[in-house]
Amino acid sequence: MSPEGDKKNWVGKPLPRKEENRLLRGRGKFADDIKMREMLYLRFVRSPYAHAKIVSVDVSAAEAVPGVVCTLTGAEVAPQVQPFIEIAPDPGGKIKDYALAVSKVRYQGEPVAAVMAESPGIADDAAELVQVEYEALDPVVDAEEALKDASILHEEAGTNRVWNGVFEYGDVEKALKEAASVVSIDRLHFHRFSSTPLENNVVIAQWNPKDERIYYWCNNSFPSFAIQFLSAHLNVHIDRIRVETSDIGGSFGIKITSYPQMAVCALASKKAGGRPIKWVETRSEHITSSAHGNERTFRDTRVALDKDGVITAIASRHIDDCGAYPRYEPLGCVIWSQVFPGVYRFKNARIDFTQTVTNKCPVGPNRGYSRMQHLWFLERVVDICAHELGIPADEMRLRNYIRPEEFPYTTPNGCVYDSGNYPKMLQVAKGLIGWDDWKKKQAAARKEGHLIGLGIGTTLDSGTNNFGQSQIVNPGAPFSGNSQGANCKLDIYGEVVVAVGSCPQGQGHETTAAQVVADVLNIHPDLITVRTGFDTERNVHTGFSGTYASQFAVSGLSAVHGAAQKLKAEMKRLAAFVLETQEDDIEFGTGAQGPELRAKSTGKSINYWGLANIVNVNSAVLPVEMHDVTLNCRYIWRAPFKVPDKVRKYGNLTLTYASQLHIAVVEIDRDTFIPHILDYVAVDDCGTVINPPIVEGQVYGATAHGIGAALMESCVYDAVGNMLTSTFSDYTPITAVNMPKVKYGHIETPSPHSYSGAKGMGEGGAAPIHTISAALQDALFAEGIIVDDSFNNADSLFRAMVGKEIGQVGKLVKLERRAQ
Amino acid sequence: MAIKFAGEFEVKRNPEEVFGFLTDPNKFAPLLPGFQTMSVQDPTHFTVKVNVGVSYIKGAAEVKMELAQAENPTRAQYKGQGSVAGGGVSLTAGFDLAAADGGTKVAWQGEAQVFGRLTSVAGGLLQPLGKKNVQKLIDGLQAALKGSAGTMPSEAKTAEG
Repeated sequence: MSPEGDKKNWVGKPLPRKEENRLLRGRGKFADDIKMREMLYLRFVRSPYAHAKIVSVDVSAAEAVPGVVCTLTGAEVAPQVQPFIEIAPDPGGKIKDYALAVSKVRYQGEPVAAVMAESPGIADDAAELVQVEYEALDPVVDAEEALKDASILHEEAGTNRVWNGVFEYGDVEKALKEAASVVSIDRLHFHRFSSTPLENNVVIAQWNPKDERIYYWCNNSFPSFAIQFLSAHLNVHIDRIRVETSDIGGSFGIKITSYPQMAVCALASKKAGGRPIKWVETRSEHITSSAHGNERTFRDTRVALDKDGVITAIASRHIDDCGAYPRYEPLGCVIWSQVFPGVYRFKNARIDFTQTVTNKCPVGPNRGYSRMQHLWFLERVVDICAHELGIPADEMRLRNYIRPEEFPYTTPNGCVYDSGNYPKMLQVAKGLIGWDDWKKKQAAARKEGHLIGLGIGTTLDSGTNNFGQSQIVNPGAPFSGNSQGANCKLDIYGEVVVAVGSCPQGQGHETTAAQVVADVLNIHPDLITVRTGFDTERNVHTGFSGTYASQFAVSGLSAVHGAAQKLKAEMKRLAAFVLETQEDDIEFGTGAQGPELRAKSTGKSINYWGLANIVNVNSAVLPVEMHDVTLNCRYIWRAPFKVPDKVRKYGNLTLTYASQLHIAVVEIDRDTFIPHILDYVAVDDCGTVINPPIVEGQVYGATAHGIGAALMESCVYDAVGNMLTSTFSDYTPITAVNMPKVKYGHIETPSPHSYSGAKGMGEGGAAPIHTISAALQDALFAEGIIVDDSFNNADSLFRAMVGKEIGQVGKLVKLERRAQ
Repeated sequence: MAIKFAGEFEVKRNPEEVFGFLTDPNKFAPLLPGFQTMSVQDPTHFTVKVNVGVSYIKGAAEVKMELAQAENPTRAQYKGQGSVAGGGVSLTAGFDLAAADGGTKVAWQGEAQVFGRLTSVAGGLLQPLGKKNVQKLIDGLQAALKGSAGTMPSEAKTAEG
């Protein structure tokens, strides 16, 4: 029997992923793999218009097609349901959002009707026959134009503005007045892009007339959020909604907002007499109509700096474009403030934040949700100031970084950064990329006319939200804190079975949960079964359960750890009774008959089967005082948060802060204007690493996503709201072919806020977007060009360099130096 | 996606004759490129069905037209709205007439807004296609109005708005 010794036998080890065996052999079970008797297939009829009144919807031709069972329209659905819950207070709270457009459409691709048929092909063909008459209205696709309210999307709200609030801390005006220099930046813009999961959205729904329950099999990535919206929308008690997920082929947050489609599928099933309805989203539907990341414009930025280039204050006006319906918004209006000062020390700041609707696809919590836009803004500010003041980018950061000795660091808005060491990350990254050598190469190349830039991006991946921040955007919101559930049990034959309320999409939850339990019970992770997917019937979920916001390593594994500890305590107590010894005489390990507990004093042991047998099928031997032992332990972990101060907008909004520091070397081809990445380094700090290959994989994934976003992926709309990038021909997601070789490094600053020292990670803070913007600016600053947009491809670089249409430093940036 | 077009030509017919031709759906509509059928609801409203295609994407468009302005003999303007290939199109086409050198100078201008997936799938082809079809329409108009007096050369310009 192996001794019960090091509590971290498995946590921290590069254990191969348990999921791999299943997934790489094609044995995964995804939602589209599910086929049910009498299942029907749903096809949406979508609006070609970005903004139009619906004059009429004629489904008669579609319903006449053999094999079509029924259709649904918005007018038919609206009387049966309540509008979806709006998180916003008024005016945003007045918006009425239905799963099918009722009287008007507000973005191209909005579902107007649904056709249910015996086969997907019949549904597709019949959907083409639905006649919708529209009366075009003036579309609004620009956020600043939308705020003029010349054309209003939601008449019931009376304005396109969803939310506005001012986040102000310290004394901004004093800092600006006393500054040695002030840099003004007229406009910066963070572009709209999305995620490209291998598996699109899939919903199977059955509104069962026998028990009046709704059953979902789907790949929504935040089911406990979805059922809260669905229950209120469908007028169904939440316990009557069952949601199951299985393997999910990526989400990146985008699948959180699939609840409208889930509602339509349930209503369609009801109309079809309880037959199951399957909807499988096409790729074009996903690109045009699932969810995009938030687009944000930064106006009238003023930055105060002291004589050493230390930033003392920032004032700015931010306008967020959430598309046609707020849905998960306006949470993004506060979530960015989890990283209010980024990695920097300035104490005085005022951000006037406004969110507006536009005639574009609604946004969803895309990887790095709301924070990446703000972090990109801060990194742009730092680089622009550095260039204006002639301070090297690395030196500028060192002067402004929060210092290692200042952790835990309280930000001006009350967030507590748990740990970090940004100067060390910079040092590691510079070493990995060969910073000094590249600077020499850059200088030599510039003499030959080459445009080479080096860029640094320092960023944060804040994980485990305090949902109390929702009360900052809506004081009446009934959410605060964060929690996660888990169950750990010995099954009847002694198997260790773990269930968690998460729904992983590639993050390796099966593996890391097994590692944690293996350490608690001192057994091999292969002896532990971790139930995959989410299921409301498992009763391990809380209202926050799902997989999002870089939190499983903290919230999920803390719940697993808690449940395993409870199980361990029960096993120890039971074993002490059976082996007639004291609990502190019991040790855990593996013996000749598998995992067992042994009395150190006598050498007698009982294996897991023996313990489970007594509790489950041989319980007459248990004395009454042991009847509370179930070997089936549920644990709810709760984050130690308080409700933030809603008036001051002050409080701790997130539990852990992983950090990333990337460096890129980029060359812009002078003939083609194509930017090429010559070298790339990604350094990560997510505290104590639970499984190094999983962390490394997440870093590569987030880096790929960010490089794609920086150079290749953009949701482009024309002036009337046509999405011009609705296929992979135009929305070009990054692939392995486009990826540079990434040099990976990491440091560990353990978090004091999680039991293992781990910090949530996986979103990556969109570090490549900041980094590539910085490198491009370094390459172009001498040409009088400021990188003012987060998306930079050959076309935009041509427009900046040759057309002089965008990014002209003289128009965008003003430096005011003052005598001291 | 907006496609704007404008141009002018001269014909050896008086403005009243030209106006009468332009405002008669039975004469005007068959000149539309790809014209298939037409149904006239009243003197100012009619629906035309035309074949449209961009490369391999082919289909039929049904466009509801309205003679929105008719100021005899100086101005006629059509407005239309229809559906095509899962998308939509709305258009305006106006003709300003002026007596010139024994005939009529026709100054024409219009704008077509295209909505829907066609703009994504074939967006780059819509400009040249639009220009080609406008040219066809104008050529057809001139030919129909030619009569015995002949026409002046026409010139079409397109520009994206």
